[in-house]
Amino acid sequence: MNGFRCCVAVVVLLLAAATPVLGQPSPPAGRIKVASGSAFIVRQGQSIPAHIGQLVFEGDVFRTAADGHVGVTLNDDTRVSVGPGSEIRLDRFLYSPAEGRLGFVLKIARGIVVYVSGRIAKLSPDSIRLETPSAIVGVRGTRMAISVMP
Amino acid sequence: MKALAVGLVAVAAAVACGPRRPATPSPPPGSELLVLLPDPDGGALGRAIITSASATVDLVGEREATEVVANRPPTRPVAIDEARIQQVFGDVLSALPPPPKSFNLYFQFDSDQLTDAARALLPEILRLVKERPVPDVVAIGHTDTIGSGASNFQLGLRRATRVRDLLVGAGVDAALITVTSVGEAEPLVQTPDETMEPRNRRVEVAVR
Repeated sequence: MNGFRCCVAVVVLLLAAATPVLGQPSPPAGRIKVASGSAFIVRQGQSIPAHIGQLVFEGDVFRTAADGHVGVTLNDDTRVSVGPGSEIRLDRFLYSPAEGRLGFVLKIARGIVVYVSGRIAKLSPDSIRLETPSAIVGVRGTRMAISVMP
Repeated sequence: MKALAVGLVAVAAAVACGPRRPATPSPPPGSELLVLLPDPDGGALGRAIITSASATVDLVGEREATEVVANRPPTRPVAIDEARIQQVFGDVLSALPPPPKSFNLYFQFDSDQLTDAARALLPEILRLVKERPVPDVVAIGHTDTIGSGASNFQLGLRRATRVRDLLVGAGVDAALITVTSVGEAEPLVQTPDETMEPRNRRVEVAVR
């Protein structure tokens, strides 16, 4: 019984430790360098028109219509370009080399995307992942193009 | 039961080997095309490992591609031609931002004073910033391993801030510049702790 209580206490403590981190706004992940046509960022359920110079954050979804394009340069020099008819989420972007926190996950629900690796790929190749509805791609540099038909 | 298991393995193996067809010009709905492209800036080609339905293929050659259809294993990698790449990806490739360009500006020992050679690089950085349609600049301060980690973080930050001030003084909008420090954590030249190394006293400036 004591063991069980102890276990519960540990779990509660872990949850308590994790919760504030989830609540904090993350620092910007990068910036939109190219935007044309009908292109949006979906952030916390809100759809914002994408424009050049705009900051992007971990968790942002890039959504484009048939004429939309978005090109993003991230803080580690990773570049992502999103073509028409796409829905692509920057699912994870961790770039704190000093603390050794590195990670990049891009989720491609549909559409066309080109990924060009940056510093995260150099420092921590195993932490780079591109996910499509059917496949998981581990990339060891440098440039990858993916098309997911609707 | 054992026979069934063997049968399943055989079926799985047959599926994994897959029909050896090349990438078709008009993919069916829901299909995915994944292509390893050469680095546009002449860097290494790299490699991609694609996993689907518990099967894995490696893309290792220039323009090597695999297809995945609805949770089936990836098809055998085949190099596709430039025309096909332009047809499918030409549009999205043209929306790729220009490659970031990095410079190393070196500093004097335990100081936020640039070396003369580093000062001479500033005009080129300014030219590049003015040339880009949507520029931003990241200045990352570094130090050698003399001193504590914490004091080197601060020194790196002072160095990066000095670079920012010089760029702002030359007319760059301060809002475009991000300043950070990694202290002694990412040396250009690996050294033991408490080691003098001029090449590690630097600010990396990336123009993007």
